[in-house]
Amino acid sequence: MLGPHARLNRRDFVRLSAAGVSAAAVLGPRHRRASAAASPYPDWLPASSKSPKRGGVMTRASAWDPPVIDPRLTQSVGTFQFAGLTSNRLVRYPFSDEASGPADLTLKGDLAESWQASSDFRVWTFKIRQGVKWQNLPPLNGRELTAADIKYCYEQYAKEGFQAFTFQEIEGMETPDKYTLRVHLKTPNTLFPQNLAEPIAIIFSREVLEEDGDLKKRLIGTGPYILKEHTRKVRIVLQRNPDYWDKGRPYVDEYVILSTPDAATRLAAFRTGQADFIWVASPSEVEVVRKTNPQTLVQSYHNTLAPFGLALAQDKPPFNDVRVRRAISMSIDRQKMVDTVFEGHGILGWGVPYIYYQDSQPTAKDFGPWWQYKPAEAKKLLTEAGHPNGFSTTLFYYEYFPQMTSEVQLVQQELKKNLNIDIKITKLDYTTYYGRYVESKWDGMSWGFQSGHAIGLDERTYMYMHSKSTKNFFRVNDPIIDELTSKLRRTPERAEQRAITKKIVDREFDQVLRMWMPYDNGFLVFQPHMRNVSAGALRRTDGYGSPALARAWMEK
Amino acid sequence: MQKYVVRRLLLAIPVLLLSSLIVFALMRVMPGDALTALMGESGNVGERELAKLRKDLGLDRPYYQQYALWLWQMASLSPGDSIFTNEPIAVSLKKAIPVTLELAALAMVIGIVIAVPVGVISATRQDSASDYVGRVVAVSGLSFPEFWLGTLVITFAAIWFHWIPPIGYVSFWESPWRNLQQFLIPAAVLGFRLSAATMRMTRSTVLEVLREDYVRTAWAKGLEGRIVVYKHALKNALIPVVTIVGGQLGVLLAGTVVVETIFALPGMGRLTVEAILYRDYPVVQTNVMLVAATLVTLNLIVDLTYAWLDPRIRYS
Repeated sequence: MLGPHARLNRRDFVRLSAAGVSAAAVLGPRHRRASAAASPYPDWLPASSKSPKRGGVMTRASAWDPPVIDPRLTQSVGTFQFAGLTSNRLVRYPFSDEASGPADLTLKGDLAESWQASSDFRVWTFKIRQGVKWQNLPPLNGRELTAADIKYCYEQYAKEGFQAFTFQEIEGMETPDKYTLRVHLKTPNTLFPQNLAEPIAIIFSREVLEEDGDLKKRLIGTGPYILKEHTRKVRIVLQRNPDYWDKGRPYVDEYVILSTPDAATRLAAFRTGQADFIWVASPSEVEVVRKTNPQTLVQSYHNTLAPFGLALAQDKPPFNDVRVRRAISMSIDRQKMVDTVFEGHGILGWGVPYIYYQDSQPTAKDFGPWWQYKPAEAKKLLTEAGHPNGFSTTLFYYEYFPQMTSEVQLVQQELKKNLNIDIKITKLDYTTYYGRYVESKWDGMSWGFQSGHAIGLDERTYMYMHSKSTKNFFRVNDPIIDELTSKLRRTPERAEQRAITKKIVDREFDQVLRMWMPYDNGFLVFQPHMRNVSAGALRRTDGYGSPALARAWMEK
Repeated sequence: MQKYVVRRLLLAIPVLLLSSLIVFALMRVMPGDALTALMGESGNVGERELAKLRKDLGLDRPYYQQYALWLWQMASLSPGDSIFTNEPIAVSLKKAIPVTLELAALAMVIGIVIAVPVGVISATRQDSASDYVGRVVAVSGLSFPEFWLGTLVITFAAIWFHWIPPIGYVSFWESPWRNLQQFLIPAAVLGFRLSAATMRMTRSTVLEVLREDYVRTAWAKGLEGRIVVYKHALKNALIPVVTIVGGQLGVLLAGTVVVETIFALPGMGRLTVEAILYRDYPVVQTNVMLVAATLVTLNLIVDLTYAWLDPRIRYS
């Protein structure tokens, strides 16, 4: 499995050792490899029918440390694993106790009670919930939230930081009264409220920003939890906000996030009850956990998209030739990757959440001819493109998770075997990888990504695929995609949105504009006393979906 | 002696300056900067915003200016702020140093407590069963990497005893019992590793000293075995051991990152590694300089300890 450029590093070794040790210790000689068949665990844990119980301390051992807590300056999951609990958004996606299932993305009011668009979808009017109070901490001291606060916050987002591109879409805002916010957009966008529902679009306070100059020390919001302590590399402590506008909630008194960078330690913390829930990637890991903790609740998570794929410098030869892109795509056996690397519990890989254009998860057949594993046809196509003897290229990546290295090596092997394409792999540290990747001046190949936090259709189409977008990392430059993604923003009808989205996806697959690769589904594992913790599509409760924990409670 | 100490301290200045230049240059050679790391996985940043943020962080200044400013800050013992978190570096160090010091001190104690008696027993009972056991233990300590041993300990502790050291560091002054629970196991993992080299050195030097004439004389005088070994032989045998232990302390201050990571302790190792990953130049530079200064000081202390252990050694 290890290719000529691969090395088994310390981290790999620890993971392999930990997995091996755990498996050997727990399962003993009778252990057999986890079944590659479908997961035996439910993909949705319905809300409890019992009355929620107040109290308790919920704890999670987290891999992520917030780089900073200022939501203008980062989109890191380390920050948004808790920022969505200290602060609200204007609108949000449904929580687990009100959603019909993981794919339910019906927008709900958060700080807004209602909203409506003008007939041309350029003006959006939001009615703000009355009686919402900022947390009772200086300098806000529990004063009431008004529409002017939200206007100020969005202006700051547009002014600087990493959400500027999204909020610069706003031409102007007005507050005709204390509880009304009217937003004028530069261009029509029927999907604008989705952008405000993104987990990162939280409302922060004017006073703190003006007093401190940034939000790096204090994060005071209107959310269900108050940030009581943030000690870097140790813990984040969130305390129940007694004045929360959603009366009676949250149910849990304290939520403690413990900084735990090592995977084996996180697993040990869950096993010993120091953590109430944990994320594991593979069925065999779930099996290992359940051997020592048989009463645990398991949610089989189903990803609606793959955030990673093979990115080609498609603005330069040889990858600007669609035949080359198609040949490469046809020479990679994605199903083999799902079966081996992800133990059968993974998705084949696509970039736009399927729930926006069809009801069921896509199969290989849905992707069209260029996504089937047909090495002989791939070779023929590459020959037609003028590369009968293959060529040499480079690929750089950062190992977001251990399986990624296996995927990269499998691609290297298959392209060599099927097309005689030689790939020199370079594994980089995060900062080097990220800087090089987003600069978009690299040659050859990269293991590319799209942001993990985004839920909305606008984010997943226009923001990531339009040639003028600063998030178009895959360097898509296709006039039909530009036209379709812009048209989607002007389309209010759900059925028509689905039809256009399908056309975008079909075009993407046909032209092989982004070469998505298999991705794991993973599992969320909870202690048996946890209630109302199910994760929705694209909203894992341990990460960007943390606001849903405001509805969680513990039966113990 | 005074002259010797002053000369050593003066010699430390070019060493530290050279270290500062190397770490400064190496950090700049690495691709990317703090801003790149800060951006997370967004692409939502225009060139103008990037340039502004870069200017705010002082990353747009020429290298010589950045270096001169940093040297000045170091000389005035005010290392500035992290460009990533804005936290004063002195504050970060104040939090991280006690963690690493406690871990290192406990590991040293555990290491010495294991190594010296086992080394002496091994030497005095050469080629006996206890010697072989001691040597096997030492070789194991050298062979088992910390990350493997640490992972093994935490995994089996969870499975067999349903217990692992409590996660979420608390200081000794806050809760001594909880603090010790957090530190004893990681310190034992580190100490076991450290004890291996020390034990082997103790064994070989004790063996060597036991063959010296003055020890034979002590035996001939009819002194008790314990007095011969511990009073006459061990003190001289300890000189090379002190060198090893001194070196190990320096390594411990800079090299506990793996154990800190496994046991979730917020020490110097994690602070430095995180700063390297985030390209937080001032934090990396300050930490490296602190380690360099500590190593220089430790080496001096070790040299001075020689004179105390062996009255024949004199510095002039």
